[in-house]
Parts: sequence; C-alpha cells; structure tokens
Amino acid sequence: MTEPKSPAAAADSANANGSLIDIRDVRKVYVMGTNEVNALDGVDLQVRPGEYLAIMGPSGSGKSTLMNMIGCLDTPTSGSYKLRGTEIRERDDDELARIRNQEIGFIFQTFNLLPRADALHNVELPLIYAGKPAKARRARAQELLALVGLGDRMHHRPNELSGGQRQRVAIARALVNDPSIVLADEPTGNLDTKTGQEIMALLGEIHQKGNTVILVTHEEDIAAHAERVVRLRDGKIESDRRHAAGAGPSS
Amino acid sequence: MTGDARGRREFWVAQRENLRIAIDALRANKLRSVLTVIGNVVAVMSVIAVVSIIDGLNTYVTDKVLEQGLGVLTIDKYGFIQTDDEWREAQKRRDLTLDDAKALEARMSLAERVVAQSTGRKRVRFGRTELQGVDVVGTTAGYEYVSKVEVAQGRHLDENDVDRRRPVCLIGSQLAEQFFSRRDPLNESIRVGGYELRVVGVIEERGSVLGMSRDNVVIIPLGQYYRMFGSRAELSFLVKAKPGVETERLEDEARVILRAQRHVPLGAPDDFGMTTAETFQAFWKNLTGGIFAGTIALVAISLVVGGIVIMNIMLVAVTERTREIGIRKALGARRSDLLSQFLSEAVVLSLFGGFIGVAAGILVSLLIRSITPLPAAIQPWSIVLSLGVASSVGLFFGVYPAARASQLDPIVALRQE
Repeated sequence: MTEPKSPAAAADSANANGSLIDIRDVRKVYVMGTNEVNALDGVDLQVRPGEYLAIMGPSGSGKSTLMNMIGCLDTPTSGSYKLRGTEIRERDDDELARIRNQEIGFIFQTFNLLPRADALHNVELPLIYAGKPAKARRARAQELLALVGLGDRMHHRPNELSGGQRQRVAIARALVNDPSIVLADEPTGNLDTKTGQEIMALLGEIHQKGNTVILVTHEEDIAAHAERVVRLRDGKIESDRRHAAGAGPSS
Repeated sequence: MTGDARGRREFWVAQRENLRIAIDALRANKLRSVLTVIGNVVAVMSVIAVVSIIDGLNTYVTDKVLEQGLGVLTIDKYGFIQTDDEWREAQKRRDLTLDDAKALEARMSLAERVVAQSTGRKRVRFGRTELQGVDVVGTTAGYEYVSKVEVAQGRHLDENDVDRRRPVCLIGSQLAEQFFSRRDPLNESIRVGGYELRVVGVIEERGSVLGMSRDNVVIIPLGQYYRMFGSRAELSFLVKAKPGVETERLEDEARVILRAQRHVPLGAPDDFGMTTAETFQAFWKNLTGGIFAGTIALVAISLVVGGIVIMNIMLVAVTERTREIGIRKALGARRSDLLSQFLSEAVVLSLFGGFIGVAAGILVSLLIRSITPLPAAIQPWSIVLSLGVASSVGLFFGVYPAARASQLDPIVALRQE
C-alpha cells in the first residue's frame, strides 16, 4: 500500500463486468450428522474495486461462511465465485493458498499474531510464503509498521503490545503483500470503544488510499463506516444498501 | 530471473524460516525437548563411545599381535584359554620341560628358531634403591628373533651367556632410569633375587599394554633363572617359522614332535597348548563382532523408542499450535510449506538430541581413556554416521505429525482456542 491504486489499474484486474468479486448463486451445504445445513443458500454479490463493504447479520446467518468463501479459505458447494476473473471453485489447495497470499489480507477479531514472533516477523510472514528474499521482506515490513504507527515497536512480541497495537500489527500484515481485498472479521470485537474507533479510522484511511475493504460485523455503528452494507439472514441476502459515500458512524 | 532460480530462492527462503521456527520451538520448550530426545542421546552416545572403545581395543590388539610377531607360535601348558573348565583341565597337565624344547629344536624342519622362556617376579636392588615385583624373564638364546626386544645400549644375551649360565642380564628402560639416572648402567652389578648380575645391555623403551609397563623387566639366562626360581619353573616355547612357512604347517609339525616326545597316547588330546597371532585375531574378531551386535541392538531399540517419543511430541506440538497452523494457512502457506516446517522441526529436535549424544559419547570415551589403559580414540566417521542416523529418525517419525499439520482445514484450525 505504498501508492493509491488508480481506478484504471483496478479495472484491469477486475472481472469482465467490472467487478473484483463476482459471486453468482453460491450455495454452501454442510452435513451435520444426518442433517444438511444450507449455510449459504443462493447468494449473488458483486464488489467493485475500491469499495468499502460491510457484511452484517446475526450469528448463524452465514456471514462467516461468506467471509471464508471470499477469503478463499472455503469453496462453494455450487454456484460460481470469480475473484479477478479467476473461478475459485476449480482451484486446488495450493492454488487457493497462493490466492490467499497474493489477493487477500486478513484482519481477525483475535488478531491472530504468532506469539513467539516479534511484530516485524509477524508482518513478514505473508512475504515469506510469497518467497521474497529477507532484505526486501524486512524493508517492506518496516515500511508498513511505520505506516500503522508502530515504527518504534518492531521488535516487540504480541504479549508486549496493547490490543490496539496488536491489531495495528495485524493490519500491517494484511497489507504487506499489496492484496486486492482487505478482509476484516470483527476487527474491533476485542477492543475498547476508543481503540476500536482508532482502528476503524485506520481502515478508513486504507480505503481512502484505494484498497477494497470488506468488513464483517454484527455491530451497526461499525458497519456504518462502510459505504455499502449487505445484510444476510438464513444464508440469503436480505438487503444491500449504499449510504452516501464515506458516511461516518451514526451521523 | 528464470523460473528455476526463483524456485530455488523460494526454497531457501522457506528453509530459513523453517529453521527459525524449529529453533524457536526448541527454545520455548527446553525441558520437554531434552526429555523428548533422550532416546537419540543414548543411541548416538552408544555409537560414539562403543566405536571409540573398539578402536582402542584394536590398537591394543594390534600392538599385542605385533609384539608376539606374525609367524611365531607360542607353546605352553595352557594355550588359548577362554573358559574356567579349560583352565582347570590345563592345570592338570605336565609342565613343558627343557628336553621338550630340545626335541623341537633338533627335529623341526620348518622352524627357524626355538626359544624356551619362563617368567617370574623378584625384587631387584642396586645400591640403596630397591624395586619390588620386577618381571624376570629367563630365556634361551635367540629371544630377540621371536619377540619385540631391541637393545638401546650394550648387547643382547648370546649363546655363551646362556650355555655357561653367566651371571649377566639385560635390563628394561624403566630400571635403567631408576637405578642409573646419571651414570652408565653397563657393567654395573645389580642384585636380582639375591644374585649379583652384571648388566650387559639396556632394552629400548617398549611402553605399556593395558596399564602394565613392559619396561620394568630383567632378562637373564635360563640357567640363572633356574637358580633363582628352581628348576621346575614353568616353561613356554616360542617357535619362529622359516620364511614362507604357513603357521598351520608349523603348528602341525610341532604338535607331532611334542606328542611323540611327551608320549601322548593316540586319540588323546594334546597335553599342551599352542597360540599364534592368528588365534588371537580370530578370537578378537569374534569378540568385537559380539560387541558390535550388542551395540546395534541397543542403538536400534533406543532409536525406535526415541523416534516414537519424537512422533508423539510432534503430534502434541501440532495440536498445541493448531491456531498457528491456521494463521499460516490463511496467510498463504501451502500444504508443502507446513509439511516441511514440521518435518524440519522434527529433524532439528532429533539432531539436538544427536548433538547432546555426541557430547556425551566424547565424554564417555575420554573417561574410558583416562581411567582404563585402553587408548580409546573418537572416530570422526562415527559422529557423522550417528548424526546422520539421528536426523533420519527425525525425518521418518516426523512425517506423520507433519502430514497431520499440513492437512488441517484452515477454518477449523483458526477456530481453535
């Protein structure tokens, strides 16, 4: 995330119809004992490059399944999911790993940093799996830690950092490989309100610089940061609304 | 950059990361790691210690064989005794006599030389210095051709000395030093078991075998020896073959002559024993073979047990670090990345045990060298071999846990608390 992506460049990498994410009639069926559960039941969703989208819904609505699907951690039972024109359903395990590495930047509720590694090494991880040499890795990770305001905390381990700082490390890690999508799953869920606001402000900045941000949350005032809110219920999209561009929370 | 070069670079990036993870994990669980690798420690230690001990024994045996000399047959009452029963049986036999030696000398066509010797212990005195328990060897002439005795100063005992039972002697280098540190020992008189003997020569230093000095010795004519120890002293014969004569033929000829001379009935066993360097070597091969087989069994058992322990601990590590595995997968780690990560960890763990084992093995063999006379020496190849085996064990027993790690579903793994 050194320079903002130009709309033209973003369009280049999109699907034929101009969307970065193109989900058509996706179903996901889990077999639990003798029952079949339709976690996703015919979902259609298109996301253009540079959008700031929130996915909302009560627990059991299928929003985690949808997030896992978008993040290429899971594949649909039926239907089509194209990410930058690539059909995800047809990819094998290693290809999915490569796509996650190159295209997706995950931000988790519980931060999910490696406890024994310092901040710098945590941020370097995606670059290691991209096979980048050590010097380039280090420089890039330092750059991003400085960007999230942790230039002086590079060699601290997660247990030496506050919750907000840990989430900043996670954000730096999500951005380090310059992904197409930043996928944030309840990013403020484990933070106090003030720190949560700071993290949301940082995500807003990231979006401003041209990144596509997808937020998964069940909190209205967090979702209010996004330009577009998709609500799920029982595996189906219940509503898909756009607010005025870049509207702040409860304004 | 070509695809090949990129592939290689990515490989090394991954390997460096794997090593880092493995060492981090080792440091995070020091005690557990040490306990895990005890099997490997024992295995590697045994290999290194046993190899160094056997090497020490080899050096000793080679020395011993060289001392007696190849192609020299030793005949005595006992022969090569390996059991208590043989010992009891041999003690009932008649002593070998000087007449037996003379018969051999007169009738053997394959022997270049026959020497009769007897060994005992006496106190030896020069001036006010007295030494206890000095080996006294009574011998006929020609001993220098059948055993490793060289004169550093003066001369050997010759036929005249022996035939006339002259009161002369050859002394070991240790005696020469203790009695005559600042003067010439030649033609001085020392007292051996109450008899005055004139020193005619000093033996070249021979060192020690199994902690017993071979330089604390006096060699005297056999006749003199009889005066000191009585004429019934136990004799042994050293028979040297003529050039090109096989030891077996030499043995056969000596056996036929001795049996006739000692009137051993047809079909009765020999009432004497014969030993050659070859006998010793055959026994030796047997012995080291046994030691090796025992070691291999011990090593194999420790390695299997150690490998299973490593496998278990790696399974524990995979369970403990399920979340880490999920995180790595989410960030783009492929199955092969996790497979090689956990394999590397098992190998590093296993090698860690190997290194402790090497240290322990070196310690054991140094200890053996310092408290026993064995010249135990550490063999570099045994270190390389045992570390190689140790890492293979890690690799082999690490496959299953690593495969488990690599096949975890990232969604399930991330959900793990």
